[in-house]
Amino acid sequence: MSSLTTMTRTGRAARDLPRGRRARWLPPYLFIAPFFVVFAAFGVYPLVFALQLSFTRWHGAGAATWVGVGNYAYLLTSPDFWASLANSAVMWLLIVPLQIIAGLGAAVLLANAKLRLRGFFRVAFIAPFVTPLVAMAQVWIVVFDQDYGLANHLLNLVGLPDVGWLTSTVWSKPTLALLFLWKTTGFAIIILLAGLQAVPDSVYEAAGLDGASRWRQFWSLTVPLVRRSIAFLMVVQTLAVFQMFAEPFVVTKGGPYGSTTTAGLYLYDHITASDLGTGAANSFLLVLLVFGLSLGAVRLLRPRDEVR
Amino acid sequence: MNATTARPGPVQYAVLAVLAIAFLYPIWWAFSSSLKPAAEIISDPLAFDVAHANLGNYRAMFADVPIGTGFANTALVLVVKGAMTMFFCPLAGYAFAKYTFPGKDLLFGVVLLTLMLPTLVLIIPLLLEMSTLGWVNSYQALILPGSIDAFSIFWMRQSIAAIPNELLDAGRVDGASEFGVFARVVVPVIRPGLAALAVLTTMNVYNDFVWPVIAVNDTSHQTLQVVLSTLAQNVTGNRVGADFATVWGEVLAAGSIAMLPLLVIFVLLQRHFISGILAGSVKG
Repeated sequence: MSSLTTMTRTGRAARDLPRGRRARWLPPYLFIAPFFVVFAAFGVYPLVFALQLSFTRWHGAGAATWVGVGNYAYLLTSPDFWASLANSAVMWLLIVPLQIIAGLGAAVLLANAKLRLRGFFRVAFIAPFVTPLVAMAQVWIVVFDQDYGLANHLLNLVGLPDVGWLTSTVWSKPTLALLFLWKTTGFAIIILLAGLQAVPDSVYEAAGLDGASRWRQFWSLTVPLVRRSIAFLMVVQTLAVFQMFAEPFVVTKGGPYGSTTTAGLYLYDHITASDLGTGAANSFLLVLLVFGLSLGAVRLLRPRDEVR
Repeated sequence: MNATTARPGPVQYAVLAVLAIAFLYPIWWAFSSSLKPAAEIISDPLAFDVAHANLGNYRAMFADVPIGTGFANTALVLVVKGAMTMFFCPLAGYAFAKYTFPGKDLLFGVVLLTLMLPTLVLIIPLLLEMSTLGWVNSYQALILPGSIDAFSIFWMRQSIAAIPNELLDAGRVDGASEFGVFARVVVPVIRPGLAALAVLTTMNVYNDFVWPVIAVNDTSHQTLQVVLSTLAQNVTGNRVGADFATVWGEVLAAGSIAMLPLLVIFVLLQRHFISGILAGSVKG
């Protein structure tokens, strides 16, 4: 093992030296070819097809009618489209800030070198991330059932009335957001914990000598130092929330009264309605939005001195 | 975290314990309730009496729902798709890490670009492509799209780049072919990375839902997750007039049995799981 590390040091120089005479141009192309074959067949082709489709009216059979930007215009003026985006935006607000703040808090506790049972806590926090979403979505249906569910049973025990977790437009979003939070906060904790552990101890020691309070250390040292991890989480979770599909698909079917019809689920509605041109246009609008949001998140969280 | 950090006090432990309970309780509740007589899931959702535990919900669920087929289909997809990922992604990662060839930067740029492509944009055209090919309700449809994914290539490239070139050259001097160098020198060195890739790929394929539910609609090709998603309808369809308790008993039994394999793998191989999860954050 130690010889391997010494070799790494000289490896960089050796890379530029001329290699043997044998034909070396073919193998790398052969090695990467499978990816590009699969990507061409199931990535490029459908993408190009979707782009073309988004300018037509087509119901899956017969000839497609060219409608220009008609589908895009239709969506941008459709209240349902905006409602789906608004639903996803509310979900984002319910999920992402809470997840990052709570995740950071838990990660700071876990990062304490003197903590016992760290292994157990880590397993406990990530276990939900490993469970199949569909299975847990079913459990959510059962737990949050208005008449017979566990959640209302508990409320009744402390004398509170039933809540329509999945049947009221007020509670349906928080209940689904809770499923998402339950499932993925462990993932956020692990990412943030790794970011924290990359911060050298000497930084804290210096701050400690300066007499900075623990709270001040947290805000002026820890948070800026894990900015990269936070930015990563923002991007990944923004993508995930705006593509959220299985949670509403299984638990609420988008109801009640469309209150959980997320952007991802609305897209699926075009498939069931065989309105494929509109669906393709909707996909591209969603991709643009998600890209914009991720870029914004990255920009917002870039360390100050890197801006401009 | 550092030398100045105090030993965590009872408050810190209490916060972590509350969090741990919040994360674990739903899993425990699903497991324990699935073993209760169906009626008790509703009448007393909090209690768990070991003396009453039985497999009644499981027996009813196996009779009502094609969950065996679901497991078999998921296993098939997992083995073939997993094998493709495990073979082709490290190979491509090796080419990008250790060769110089015309067009390399451009081609790797394409790989990185596909990383950012949301799954959703491809769903509709992919479905149409499948129907043109006559592949709706086929294993090809479940296996091929996404079988060699950009993220795994990117990740494997990172691991392989750390291998010293001398090691590869030594392999060449010994007369190994270019592929031989990959198989006999690279693969043994990156074994821990491969283990993490295997674990993460297993989780992703096993839990995949969006594409399978769209690409497949006949029972004989449904994966486990798709079977689960239609479970409640299936139970009520097969047992006309089934009460809530019966349906829920079966739903919880199916959910529990679907969770079990991954939870077991996770507890046994958590180190690989965590390094797999973290490999993703490197790209940010």
